[in-house]
Amino acid sequence: MTSFLSSPVSRRSVLIGGAALLGTAGLSACSPSGASSSGSKTLNVAYFGTQQAADATAKVAQPFIKANPGVTVKFNGINGTDWNDFFTKVLTQIAAGNPPDIVSVATEGVQLFAQKKLAHPLDDYVKRDKDQLAPYFKDVHPSLVEAMMYQGNLYELPTDFNAGNMYFNTNLLQKSGLQLPSPSWTMDDFHSVATSLKSNSGAVPFDWVVRLWGSWTSFMYANGGNLVTEGKYTGGDWLWSQFYANDPAAAGRGGGWKWGAPTANSDAVVESLDYMVELANSGLSAKPDVGGGSTLQGLFASNKIGMSIGGGFWAGGLHNAGMQNGSFDVQFFPKWKVQRHLFGTGGYGIFESSKNKDLAWEFLKSLVEPAAIDVLTSGNSTTPARRSMMTADRYSTTGPKNWQVFYDTLDKLPNTAPIPAPPYYNAMANALNQRTTQAMSSGNAKSALDGLQQDLETAAASVGS
Amino acid sequence: MTTLTTRTKSLRAASGPEGARVRNRKRAARREGAFGWLMISLSAASILVFTALPIVFTFVLSFFSWDIISPPQFVGLQNFTHLAADQSVIHSFGVTGLLAALIVVLQIVVGLAMALLVQQRKSTWARSIFRTAFFLPLLVSAASISIVFSYLFDDHFGVINYYLQLLHLPAVAWLSSSAGATATIVIVAVWQQLGFVFILFVAALGSLPKDVLEAVSLDGSGPIRTFFSIKLPLISPTIFFAAVIGLINAMQIFDQPYVMTKGGPGDATTTTVMLIYRTAFQNIQFGYGSAISVVLFVLLLVLTGLQFLISRKWVFYS
Repeated sequence: MTSFLSSPVSRRSVLIGGAALLGTAGLSACSPSGASSSGSKTLNVAYFGTQQAADATAKVAQPFIKANPGVTVKFNGINGTDWNDFFTKVLTQIAAGNPPDIVSVATEGVQLFAQKKLAHPLDDYVKRDKDQLAPYFKDVHPSLVEAMMYQGNLYELPTDFNAGNMYFNTNLLQKSGLQLPSPSWTMDDFHSVATSLKSNSGAVPFDWVVRLWGSWTSFMYANGGNLVTEGKYTGGDWLWSQFYANDPAAAGRGGGWKWGAPTANSDAVVESLDYMVELANSGLSAKPDVGGGSTLQGLFASNKIGMSIGGGFWAGGLHNAGMQNGSFDVQFFPKWKVQRHLFGTGGYGIFESSKNKDLAWEFLKSLVEPAAIDVLTSGNSTTPARRSMMTADRYSTTGPKNWQVFYDTLDKLPNTAPIPAPPYYNAMANALNQRTTQAMSSGNAKSALDGLQQDLETAAASVGS
Repeated sequence: MTTLTTRTKSLRAASGPEGARVRNRKRAARREGAFGWLMISLSAASILVFTALPIVFTFVLSFFSWDIISPPQFVGLQNFTHLAADQSVIHSFGVTGLLAALIVVLQIVVGLAMALLVQQRKSTWARSIFRTAFFLPLLVSAASISIVFSYLFDDHFGVINYYLQLLHLPAVAWLSSSAGATATIVIVAVWQQLGFVFILFVAALGSLPKDVLEAVSLDGSGPIRTFFSIKLPLISPTIFFAAVIGLINAMQIFDQPYVMTKGGPGDATTTTVMLIYRTAFQNIQFGYGSAISVVLFVLLLVLTGLQFLISRKWVFYS
């Protein structure tokens, strides 16, 4: 120490020292996680949620770890307000040279990850382990599987899903002298329920959140519209003929949804958003916020909202917000031109850059076992993808009474489809949020949707749909 | 000639006892220098790694197209020519300019008014209480404050509209109209940042020369005249400092619009930094996002330079 202090410090030595320090910092920042690069037996899972939730979910890996001595599975929680936020953070993690082996991805990001060659197709693994997977596919609706495909390849095995159904605050329904509508209710019925709730309950009859899933987009689907043209990629026969040969619900399935040219200012879409503007202007709905929907659940639970769009995950959310079983219920979304619902499905994909793909596949298979899905959907935080797991017992604590609606949305309404999520999903979600609030503020849905059409055309052109 | 003589003298001195003293002094100075380098090395390295290099990287990246996943592609000035015609970028600069102007002016006016009021309190205890109360919001994160205020200002369920309606006043579309959302963001930003400006003015007013104020008072000048003719010119350097710092901060406003309005309704409150975040991190266009950052950086430099130029006409340092 003394000799260092007493020796003269030249500019050159400072520069050399500084460069060495920077070099070290740079190298440490660029090196990928030790686990996957060294080929050791550690699987890194990027999990959408807080680290606390990730730690709680990590117990799903215990049977797998027990069956594979020496293997560790690390769940890294990446928090975000919505899937858009989550993808941004995962992509930043990739840019930092630290990609995970496995990532939890919902419909929103399947095509984005697949198109960018970030996700590894599971086709060969599924074909190889077809006997082992047959009971799983038999238990899962083909629409969920198809939503995990892109250009003929399968990228994930669905573990859970949520379709946009309609939730009712039964306290407010009773106060207004109303009952849960019938499954075949229409938009006229919806309007009349909303009017009655407004007059009799004092609450806001209907509220919603600005986002792609379960927003005014549910009305758009029921009105027969979509933001982009719908098509199917060819391919996927290997899967349908193997696992769904005798299932009529698999007829017409292809190699994944092909989201084509934007149609955001088509008549059906404009009519849907116009309806939302009128609903707000007539006091039958609140002007919505942009966000993930947790505030909406809080308001619903405190009897301030009569109806809102929710999926199976709302059961757990409302229960956690303090609602007793019986104080809320659920029904199909009303029929407008059609009674078409939208849904999103979740699962886990393998990163192309993973050095442990075989091991990751074994883990993915373990995640679709009923016991694992039970952990992943605990507290009804989401809806199991396996039909056999939809039981009265599952909803006995949280409710709702009419829980069958969740899976019936897939089974009884065959035109139900995933949300449009092309590879430019992030840009689409941002543009949709912006243009929706513009329409609600200005009252001019057509002008806002003309803008959205332009935004989507630009996004599609820059990414290549 | 003089230099030569000095050098000869110092050479002579270097060989005698005087030379030993000079050598010791130089050694001590070198030792001190080395210690100084050691002390600043960590800060210098962190500034280099976390501030200087990212800035340089941003400048370089602005000439590339990069989506994180694929290798960056050099596109020359394409990002800059594109943004010059991009209405969303131009609009965001307009929004940011409006917000910044309102925030800076209100912060200075309200901060100064509050500082004057607090200075008039005779009780030291009361002054301390007010100073602490006004400064506290600055210590809370802008994101947390924005979340709380978004509940307060909610059009349907917010407390503010609830009380307005109790008073038979119409509810205001705080967050769902362009004007309302702009006003709400300004209110929240001013409320939170006010403490900083307030403390600056309290210090400036506290250090005004008492003899001058007494002389003015003896001359029979009223409080308004005293404020505009004496106090205001004397604290003009503080006003200038608050304006420069306030403008730099306000032009980079992000937290409040991001949390409270997500830039809406429409793009009414989409600020430039929000647009940079959206472009780079959500639409994964890092090159284009960097180009917008560079333009914002240059604009801030120009605006600050202009403030310094104009300050010569109204800031009094003596």
